[in-house]
Amino acid sequence: MKQIKKIKVIIAGPFAAGKTQFINTVSEIKTIKTERKIWQSSERSVKDYTTVAMDFGKIRIDDEHELYLFGTPGQFRFDFMWEILGEGALGVIVLVDSTDPTTFHEARKIINFFQSRFPVPIVVGANKQDLPNAWSLEDIRIALDIDEEESIPVIPVSAIDKESVKNALLTLFEIIRANLTG
Amino acid sequence: MALTGDLRSFNFVDIFQIIGRDRKSGILFVEWKDLTCAYYVKDGEIIFARPIDKVYRVYTDKDFDLLLSKLRMNAESLPKTIERFLISRLNMKEGIFSFMPGFIKYGREYPVVYPIEQLIVLASRNLTPEEVERKISDEMLLFERVPGKEEVLQKAKLNQIEEHILSLIDGERTVLQIRQMVNQDSLLVDRALYAFLALGLIRRKKKEVKQKQVPITLELLAKIIERIRSL
Repeated sequence: MKQIKKIKVIIAGPFAAGKTQFINTVSEIKTIKTERKIWQSSERSVKDYTTVAMDFGKIRIDDEHELYLFGTPGQFRFDFMWEILGEGALGVIVLVDSTDPTTFHEARKIINFFQSRFPVPIVVGANKQDLPNAWSLEDIRIALDIDEEESIPVIPVSAIDKESVKNALLTLFEIIRANLTG
Repeated sequence: MALTGDLRSFNFVDIFQIIGRDRKSGILFVEWKDLTCAYYVKDGEIIFARPIDKVYRVYTDKDFDLLLSKLRMNAESLPKTIERFLISRLNMKEGIFSFMPGFIKYGREYPVVYPIEQLIVLASRNLTPEEVERKISDEMLLFERVPGKEEVLQKAKLNQIEEHILSLIDGERTVLQIRQMVNQDSLLVDRALYAFLALGLIRRKKKEVKQKQVPITLELLAKIIERIRSL
């Protein structure tokens, strides 16, 4: 029996940015979640359950390879998991909630974290762009202090829409391809 | 698109950064506990501030010059309103802001005594440790100067310590080293770095992307891309 080789991509982002949904939308298996009930009142007002270790989804590439999508917990108290999950990843998609500027600074800290430890390509997915109070992509880019030199695209994402999630993954893999050939 | 938020999580430096970088025009509303203010923004500069009783009433005055004559104000008195209703409030952390782009018609040029760059620096001097930690989150961060920013620097009107901090940024020294060299309260250093980032004077030093550490071939990448497309 052939051993399946794993290709890893990290789906990171602040609390309630849509990471679990993102993986759910595109995974070929039912996403494996490690959710626990939220007890902090500030977080409970947003949702009832949160990821505490990781979410896991996968896409079969061929007989020998599988693409693993690891969703990290959003809160900084679980950042030890980012370190574990980031090891060996090909790239990172950082999701932000376009309607919630409180998540932008947290997203920047997450980008800083991955840039300093695992300098792999990063794509920012601006989730919920379809909502009327969503910030524009350009405003989000400025709020995240993304310099052109950093080569981090900010793209619209709707985590519930398969084509949109596919587009985010394709953007990341096209950057990886460009880095390999460049 | 909307630009709304809470000052506790998105402070004045952040707001001015977005308004200034994009050279936006429109009206910024801030609902404080005691007062609601409208800040009139033209090409990225805040040119006028006034307290308002109801936000919707602002929408009835679409012509800025007409509004000034209605308020019996002249262009020369506009900077005073910035001092009174904005600069004096930069230390207040509780409020809801929203920015309405476009909308107001500006007929001419108006005096800008407090350029947005200077307002960014003034606002940064009121940042709390929790606020600066959002961007200066790691003492091992490396920053480098962005070339060609002389005009921004001139408008920002840095004080002596801030100028010194800026001079220490060389793409080699970490935040920790800069803090040690300045030998002052580290909050002063972090506030300055926060402002420099917002002004676009500095940027995080880019690390080389180490894609080649992960074993992947172009052939496999092509397969992955094809597979994702076919999902």
